[in-house]
Amino acid sequence: MSSYLKMIKRWDIIIVTILVLISFLPFTIFSVVQAKSNNDPNNINVAVISVDNKVVKRIVLTGNVKTQQFDVHDLGGDCNTIEVKKNRIRVKSADCPDQNCVLTGFISKPGQTIVCLPHRVVIEIKSNHEPSQDIIVSS
Amino acid sequence: MTKNQLNAYIALLAAQAVVISMFENAIPFPFAVAPGAKLGLANIITCMALYTLSTKDTLKVLTIRLILATLLGGTISTFMYSAAGIVLSFLGMWLVKKLGPDRVSLIGVSATGAILHNVGQLVVASWIAQTWTVLLYLPVLSFAGILAGIAIGIMANYLLNHVEKLHNYRRLRELNE
Repeated sequence: MSSYLKMIKRWDIIIVTILVLISFLPFTIFSVVQAKSNNDPNNINVAVISVDNKVVKRIVLTGNVKTQQFDVHDLGGDCNTIEVKKNRIRVKSADCPDQNCVLTGFISKPGQTIVCLPHRVVIEIKSNHEPSQDIIVSS
Repeated sequence: MTKNQLNAYIALLAAQAVVISMFENAIPFPFAVAPGAKLGLANIITCMALYTLSTKDTLKVLTIRLILATLLGGTISTFMYSAAGIVLSFLGMWLVKKLGPDRVSLIGVSATGAILHNVGQLVVASWIAQTWTVLLYLPVLSFAGILAGIAIGIMANYLLNHVEKLHNYRRLRELNE
């Protein structure tokens, strides 16, 4: 082991440390930019609730301080109870068999969705800015 | 070294690099934590070329290796990724090596190469995907890169010290400088 340590010279450590720090640079820049755009007053998040691909309700989440609750009925008469609490939204209860929508919990960021497949209810948060999208790169 | 010896040596290094990188592609990567991370075994060849050949001849080795590896098992996109990685890592390794053998050892050189290879590839990836959020993956890759780079530095160090021909070539190169 000591023979390995003998190989390492002082500048090796310096250079490697610098490079590691540099590799965190994009991360830092990104979080700074993200924080800025979150505090941007022009950025408004809207929850769009749609049943069977038809938009039934739009709720502005940014700046919302109230708690409200309402039911969304689909064509078959099934019911999802949706709760909006400040800038978050969730499905509080539903009479669907799998309860996936309830288990998703609160969502608040642009791009997030709650889907209730049996009732064809989709809640999506949209922003007036371009939503950040996940990408898949394969070589 | 005569001219023929030099040519044969360059060809030998390039061929080894190609075979090593193809061999490495055949190994399934064991860590699911960092998909895309590789051992970068071909980095050994770059290190040895850097320490035993002149800068111009090292570039020859790298070019041959890049073209051959692409022809033998690559696509245009892998060519772009590896080209960016190789160019950037070569520049970095060359600069780090300029610090001199008293200050920096092979370990630092190869770790630099490993990290900059990742940087180059991710820059191309983010250019292709038109979003620089890809670069957020850099810390994960560079951490894996450092570990692999250190291991490869140690390996190359042993090779340079214990393989007689390599040792002599290195001496020769240092005398010429």
